[in-house]
Amino acid sequence: MYSLSECNPAVAAVCLLSAAGIAMFCMNPVILALSLAGAVCFFLVRNGAGGGKSHLFFCLLFAVLALVNPLVSHNGVTVLFVLNHRPVTLEALLYGMAAAAAVVSALYWFRSFSQLMTGDRLLYLFGRLSPRLALVLSMAFRFVPLFSRQAKKIRQAQRALGRLREGNIAETFRGNVRVFSILLTWALENGIVTADSMAARGYGVGRRTQFSVFRFRRGDAVLLALTLLFFGGACVSLACGALDMVYYPALVFPECTPLALAGYLCYGLLAFLPSLAQGWEVLRWSCLRSRI
Amino acid sequence: MRGIESPRLRRWLRVLLPAVVMPAVVLGGALVLDERRHLFVSVAVAACAVLLFLAGIERRRIGSRRMVIAAVMIALCVVGRLIPFFKPVTALTVITAIYLGGETGFLVGAMSALLSNFYFGQGPWTPFQMLAWGLIGLFAGLLARPLKKSRAFLLCYGLLSGLLFSLVMDVWTVLWYNGRFDPALWLAAMGTALPHTVLYAVSNFAFLWLLARPIGEKLERVRIKYGL
Amino acid sequence: MELLTVENLSFSYPQAGGRALENVTCSVRRGEFVALCGATGSGKSTLLRLLKRELAPLGERSGRILIGGTPVEELPASASARTVGFVMQQPEQQLVTDRVWHELAFGLENLGLPQAVIARRVAETASYFGIEDWYEREVSGLSGGQKQLLALASVMVMQPEILLLDEPTSQLDPIAASDFIATLRRLNQDFSLTVLLSEHRLEEVIPLCDRMLVLEKGRLLESDAPRRVIPRLGDRPELLCAMPAAARLGAALGAQTCPLTVREGREWLGQWLGQLCRETSCEQPPQACGKEQSSPQGAGPAGPPALCFRDVWFRYERSLPDVLRGLSLTVAQGELFCILGGNGSGKTTALGVAAGLLRAYSGSIRVFGKRIREVRPGDGCVAALPQDVQTVFLRNTVREELEDAGVRPESLPFDLGGLYDRHPYDLSGGEQQLLGLAKVLAASPRLLLLDEPTKGLDADTKRGFIRILRELQASGMTVVVVTHDVDFAAQCADRCALFFRGAAVSVGAPADFFSENRFYTTAANRMTRGYFDRVVTVKDAIARCRGCRREGAPHEGN
Repeated sequence: MYSLSECNPAVAAVCLLSAAGIAMFCMNPVILALSLAGAVCFFLVRNGAGGGKSHLFFCLLFAVLALVNPLVSHNGVTVLFVLNHRPVTLEALLYGMAAAAAVVSALYWFRSFSQLMTGDRLLYLFGRLSPRLALVLSMAFRFVPLFSRQAKKIRQAQRALGRLREGNIAETFRGNVRVFSILLTWALENGIVTADSMAARGYGVGRRTQFSVFRFRRGDAVLLALTLLFFGGACVSLACGALDMVYYPALVFPECTPLALAGYLCYGLLAFLPSLAQGWEVLRWSCLRSRI
Repeated sequence: MRGIESPRLRRWLRVLLPAVVMPAVVLGGALVLDERRHLFVSVAVAACAVLLFLAGIERRRIGSRRMVIAAVMIALCVVGRLIPFFKPVTALTVITAIYLGGETGFLVGAMSALLSNFYFGQGPWTPFQMLAWGLIGLFAGLLARPLKKSRAFLLCYGLLSGLLFSLVMDVWTVLWYNGRFDPALWLAAMGTALPHTVLYAVSNFAFLWLLARPIGEKLERVRIKYGL
Repeated sequence: MELLTVENLSFSYPQAGGRALENVTCSVRRGEFVALCGATGSGKSTLLRLLKRELAPLGERSGRILIGGTPVEELPASASARTVGFVMQQPEQQLVTDRVWHELAFGLENLGLPQAVIARRVAETASYFGIEDWYEREVSGLSGGQKQLLALASVMVMQPEILLLDEPTSQLDPIAASDFIATLRRLNQDFSLTVLLSEHRLEEVIPLCDRMLVLEKGRLLESDAPRRVIPRLGDRPELLCAMPAAARLGAALGAQTCPLTVREGREWLGQWLGQLCRETSCEQPPQACGKEQSSPQGAGPAGPPALCFRDVWFRYERSLPDVLRGLSLTVAQGELFCILGGNGSGKTTALGVAAGLLRAYSGSIRVFGKRIREVRPGDGCVAALPQDVQTVFLRNTVREELEDAGVRPESLPFDLGGLYDRHPYDLSGGEQQLLGLAKVLAASPRLLLLDEPTKGLDADTKRGFIRILRELQASGMTVVVVTHDVDFAAQCADRCALFFRGAAVSVGAPADFFSENRFYTTAANRMTRGYFDRVVTVKDAIARCRGCRREGAPHEGN
């Protein structure tokens, strides 16, 4: 087993998306709590104590999202208090908190996903599905920094010519339009060189193969198998209705059947699998180093 | 990991995936999930639709030059999104679609959503943005002739599609949060997003106003020069 | 054995008057290193592109091109892509993908080779070219030289039999260009790779090549070993001026075997002067011949200052190191001043600071006595033309460009007459440079800042450009040029400065400046050092040699 940043991108994607996916489509409070805990834990494991600002933002977002629902929705039977002649109910508050947990945990998962799935890893995934699109994306990935740098150069050149004044918004916008227009011409005209270079190296000669530096190792197989096992378990439990939670009109918590417990166990393992994989690797390296 | 080597298997997958697997996933999710099935269905449908469109593009033979132009336009959309007050994705997608056809338009719209989210953050909204921008491009391609002829129509199309995009994305936000559609929440979401929506629409309009013709000329020239 | 044969090849572009190529017949043997010379517009690129089927321009073609005995149009598509490798001019744009490894694999992926084969070929190519260290890097982070090397490697990975290169070093700095040419030589020697190379920078290519093809206006003028071709070009200054300094000196003085490198040039010059001494029975050793006493010119500026840096410090970001470290420099009014130096020595940054685009955090910069903060760009005081002139082109025709900038064509010191209806991007590099210059001159600046204006220009165009700079100078303009091109600086500058690590380490008139430098100097100076003093251009060298001959006995001083 390797940490997700080391393993095959496909495995990493499956692992993160299945953890995030279940939490997105399920309103069970235990599952959501596990998802939130797992997502935050993985983010902390990867980024350490850094990223304080994003934690603060996510906390605020959680609070806002949790409070919006009881203010807007007045379903439910347990009235907490009355605001502006409208009842604020416990059910709506809990529902809001669950929804907020679903959203915020998904945001954490996808933040980690974005960090892990750098351009080349995403391209690897895409290349499996569609080599041609992967190539378009790869070119676009190359163009973005190139164009940004060129835009900077154009801006400087226009300023040196006195053609770029930055005053009010309209002037700034107009200046941006000018820079963008020059950039567009440059990009299109020079694109023909890229196209020529592709043709010169036999693009379109026949069926393309896809070369990649990523391999599928034993550790990837282990991680994938574990992911699928836990995901399957959680799905079965979910599909059988063992995890269904009713919020309106009154709260009905799911029963603690063995199936539900198995579902919680599976999902809990799935949610912490990324962190565990990372921890495992840290442990292994410290062992190796102490032996050296 | 290898690509699928057997051509027969590949042919089967090509039929099975769109005809059986995708509807099965959508239906299965809708039946199994209780509280959040709307959300699931919407995500699944958007993802499947995008995949199907892109698969269609994959199967067509596209010359290297058209691919390069598409990549250039995608990268320009992303670079443009990085400039403050400057949200040219919709406008550029529309212009590309008019001059290079709906398919390229779809490709540019969908891929610029995917690519720019590398800089703005990927999320469950990615398939929706891809689908929305892709469709804006596709329809612009279908309406290419009137859009090319009448500037007013073009501006209206740009303005409307930009607005619709914002509204649809707000619907999705509500779905994501609430699990099902709720008009009150939708209004609330639209209210909070209003300054952004307005800024977006205005910048979109201004962009098309100022740049539709010059960019069109440039694309036309490149089209002739590249021999597309 | 002939690998490539061209028979009676003629070509004309659609909607173009004359023929781009006319009845060209030539052949290239396996393992040959051939240089293709000629001015801009002589048909070099057209010929090279016709040899590569995928890049062949549209137009009317007659005659035959055979590669390994098969006409190019009958080669199977994959064989054509594989057999003929093509490297282009622009390092930035000819790379396709975003990662180094993917770029290397790109061609092999197109040929549909299996993963294992690609892995092996990519690996061995990467280690041959020394790419291993940056194998997983993003292409955008590479230097220009690395990009061009990657472009070469990703063509070589397909194992071509003939390599065509269209001005591959014109966008590189001199050090990267030498490395690139050395790599080509290594490929040619190690694998007997056939190389056909068109180039402006012939100083290093000519000594390497087995044969040179000289094109003029679409006709093949010469096809022979350089030692035999160059003496025959004596009456064609526009072609001769691109040749190595030694060869030009030899050709001007009628050498029997034409010297090509600086070493050969020195040997030959020594013999020539020795013979002259013997003929005139002078007892002076040849080293003293032609020595001329001169009062070293003062290093200080001649007039009131136009641009004055005093102890200027600059860095791009707080966390980054200083780029300018206490730069002090004064450019006098009406001067043509050249700033030389390696990559990263702060040349371009100094220009940016002078143009008011970058703000120094310490020190003072004055332009015509005014502080830089009071100078607004575009108000007729300072104007700068960036290295990449395409960053100023916006419109669809040259005429619209000029209108956009508010230029009156008759006020320009050069003629853009025939180009009005052309698209700026359809112009040649030299013409683009002139159009850019025209746009900059619209504000009628008193101080003109140019960044690498001669990059990618052929020798003849460069001569024309120098004439234009002289005219601007005569009209009272002060011109500061940042350049890598020592020959250009030696020919046109009033004074030069050498930048090193963010400061000007030496300043002086070209003759003093270059003769005091040992490494950073012109080929003509390296060749004549010890024989003559203060000779920095080939023209000087020729004049001094002729002077020696006229005087008969070379006396020291007079």
